[in-house]
Amino acid sequence: MRVKLLAYIPSKDLLNEVGEIPDAELLSHLAYIFAVEGISRVCSHQLVRHRVASYSQQSQRYVEVERLKEYVVIPKTIEGRRREIFDALIEEASKAYRQLIKLGVPREDARFVLPNATETHLMVTMDGRSLLHFFGLRCCLRAQWEIREVADEMLREVRRVEPQLFRRAGPYCYQLGYCPEGRFTCGRMEKVKRRYSSLGYGADGVE
Amino acid sequence: MRLRLIASTPDIEALIAAAILTTTGRRPSEAYEALKREPRRAGRIVERLEFHHGSVFEHNRLCWLLEADEKAILELLLRNRFFHVSRIGEGRWLLSANLRTVIEYVRRHRDPMAEHLLESIREVAPTVYRRLRGESK
Repeated sequence: MRVKLLAYIPSKDLLNEVGEIPDAELLSHLAYIFAVEGISRVCSHQLVRHRVASYSQQSQRYVEVERLKEYVVIPKTIEGRRREIFDALIEEASKAYRQLIKLGVPREDARFVLPNATETHLMVTMDGRSLLHFFGLRCCLRAQWEIREVADEMLREVRRVEPQLFRRAGPYCYQLGYCPEGRFTCGRMEKVKRRYSSLGYGADGVE
Repeated sequence: MRLRLIASTPDIEALIAAAILTTTGRRPSEAYEALKREPRRAGRIVERLEFHHGSVFEHNRLCWLLEADEKAILELLLRNRFFHVSRIGEGRWLLSANLRTVIEYVRRHRDPMAEHLLESIREVAPTVYRRLRGESK
């Protein structure tokens, strides 16, 4: 997985023109454009549920999937157990996909047999306010590991270019000072807060 | 009414072209880095794109300083809800939107605001500007 901030408007460009403006208001006028590459379709399905954003994703209608085995995301929980079960399914899916393409089935239909583990690339654009909400939900320990990794990388990227503006960004417990997850809380708020007070600022803190 | 572009995402047309190439298989970071160095190529890709395939025009942000009364702001927001407005003083507003919003406004309306918006993208999105200008003649 690779996340790269491609472009953004530096906050100082706006502040120089308009003077003082609250951060929350400023953030909604700033947009951040990311390349998110080599994530699974499982992850991209979750990502695009954040609707106040723009996405351009690699198409499986126009792009034929080649060498599927080399372009799948494998969760560590599978890696460390019976990896051969996962590999066998990927092998079968790959074979079925190739056969269907050979038979003249259009890519848009042959892709129905491709697994959720298949890698994909996206361009993602979010305004600063939507990013804060995204970090609030997806940096949380309750989020699924792959999208949490994506969210952490996005946070590192924006903190690299706007360290002050995103100082309070992170999971909601870090933003709010309390955990809003109720009975589903991870119970590790202090550890999480320590991690996000330093993530992207050099020493990354406790993992 | 006075409108002045005060900030925008850099290399807007390279981003639009990279978004198109992403859908057809290129890695977005590689596509963008290459197109940033070749703005003419980015322009040629943007030239061929249908305006109604609007989502690729959303990978950017444009910010303007707008001097207008409240009635004009209300009119603008009623016409397109994707503009974002903050009041920064008496009759002074910070306005922002992405290029898709600008394109849709310019294509649907023939009013001074449309003309101001169109003129404001002349430098930052020259291919889109030329195409919209061509349509408005």
